[in-house]
Amino acid sequence: MSQSAVATSQAAPEICFDGVDLSLGGLEILKGIDLEIRRGEFICVIGPSGCGKTTMLRLIAGFHRATAGAVMHEGRAVNGPSPDIAIVFQDYGKALLPWRNAADNVALALEAMRVPKSQRADMITGFLGKVGLADHAQKFPSQMSGGMQQRLQIARALAQNPSVLLMDEPFGALDAMTRQTLQDECLNLVENMGTTVFFVTHDIEEAIYLGDRVVTLSPNPGRIADIHTVNLPRPRNQLTTREDPEFLRLRRVLFDFIQGH
Amino acid sequence: MKRASNFLWFLGSVGVFALLLFGWHLIAQSGMVSRVYLAPPDKAFAAITNGFTGPNGLGSSMWATVQRMLYGWVLASMVGIVLGSIIGISAIARIYLQPMLEFLRPLPASAIVPLAIAFFGLSESMVLFVIAFGSFWPVLLAAVQGVSSVEPRLYEVARALNMSRRETIWKIALPNALPDIFAGMRIGLAVALVLTVVGEFVGGQNGLGLEILRASRQFQAPRMFGGVILLGVIGYSCAVIISNVERYLMRWRASR
Ligand SMILES: Nc1ncnc2c1ncn2[C@@H]1O[C@H](COP(=O)(O)OP(=O)(O)O)[C@@H](O)[C@H]1O
Ligand SMILES: [Mg+2]
Repeated sequence: MSQSAVATSQAAPEICFDGVDLSLGGLEILKGIDLEIRRGEFICVIGPSGCGKTTMLRLIAGFHRATAGAVMHEGRAVNGPSPDIAIVFQDYGKALLPWRNAADNVALALEAMRVPKSQRADMITGFLGKVGLADHAQKFPSQMSGGMQQRLQIARALAQNPSVLLMDEPFGALDAMTRQTLQDECLNLVENMGTTVFFVTHDIEEAIYLGDRVVTLSPNPGRIADIHTVNLPRPRNQLTTREDPEFLRLRRVLFDFIQGH
Repeated sequence: MKRASNFLWFLGSVGVFALLLFGWHLIAQSGMVSRVYLAPPDKAFAAITNGFTGPNGLGSSMWATVQRMLYGWVLASMVGIVLGSIIGISAIARIYLQPMLEFLRPLPASAIVPLAIAFFGLSESMVLFVIAFGSFWPVLLAAVQGVSSVEPRLYEVARALNMSRRETIWKIALPNALPDIFAGMRIGLAVALVLTVVGEFVGGQNGLGLEILRASRQFQAPRMFGGVILLGVIGYSCAVIISNVERYLMRWRASR
């Protein structure tokens, strides 16, 4: 790569929506989306059900093609899925291979990345360790709790060594305790790896707690209503962060937004 | 706890078996049915064990039957899995092959026998063809079902990982179909045993089927009953083996 190419790819935002419209089956789903996501930024998206959050995520994933405008990843148009962009689905029960144990589910990503077999075992141990599943490598998904299965899905996504992590309501199906634990683990992981995160949630507090910015979408067709910067110190803390006046102010603003729809 | 109840079930089934044997013994003793047709159990077992491995023994016939059944079944399974996977995955293959298969499927395997004789004569190949034809269908249908019922989310996982079509089939579609394929192969094996016997009757090929037919024509009731018992042993052993292999390969399923 030449010097100038490196320079532009450093300067370009990690993800950029540039005047994106999207129609599916003749129906306008997203309209006029403009959004720049910096490298290493944690972006949360909230909005009423059916407003197009998942669709936006799938545009970044390369599962949909913009009808107008462009979605860019590191300065290049996204025109199909790429291992550099990993997805964590909400329905972990459907997204894991039930016939592979935890280690082999992580191996799926390494195989797809063409990692030589001799290097895989150590890497698998490493990734399972990162999500606290080191002792469960031989367990099949059917033998794991929901929280463990979602950790496994995160481990598989990390094994892709992605620059962008797309998470679609990843903790929505988990109980409150497990959810908080996973929120903190997730923040730790992506901070350490410098991963950019696009995080869809229907939980206002989760969005504020995790995000650098919170994007609100309004429906029919999906448009960006507002973008709120979260001025809360990191590392976040489940007790103090949630009591911070800034947290409470944002919660009020976002609550009013959701109520309005 | 589970162990104890398993053991009770085992004792129970042994008891039922002993009771049946005893009933058989009583009926044979009572002379209600002529000795020419009904051999008592001890005579039937003697017919099995006397010179079992010798030139005239039932051992070689049993081995011939087992081999024939396995060849036909393995052939049917391989073709069934390959063809079923192609049909399950490819819409184009479905369009071209489905009508022909729908036409062939309801044909009873016995209706194929005259056709098979016309092509292969009264030969080993004819018998194998009939066995394979009959046990092919359950495997084929199961493979189609298993391969086409993949959770769509898993295909998205494959796409997100840029997996090739071949990788996707090999690592996702086929493992997904495995439980169905096994169920189909289990039925296919039962069909194969029946058709092996029929094929031996019709084709005059050495095996338990022919042995039973000959014994009945020569009024050798003990030998006839011995042959039938051995067929039962084959069927039972196959069922036990296949369900153990199945349990091992499918150990990832939620334990019930
Ligand atoms: N493949 C598709 N074809 C047609 N309409 C779709 C498709 N996927 C989603 N939609 C529609 O787009 C809208 C937004 O969906 P989605 O992005 O899933 O909403 P959210 O994730 O915010 O709940 C919904 O009205 C949905 O019915
Ligand atoms: Mg959604």
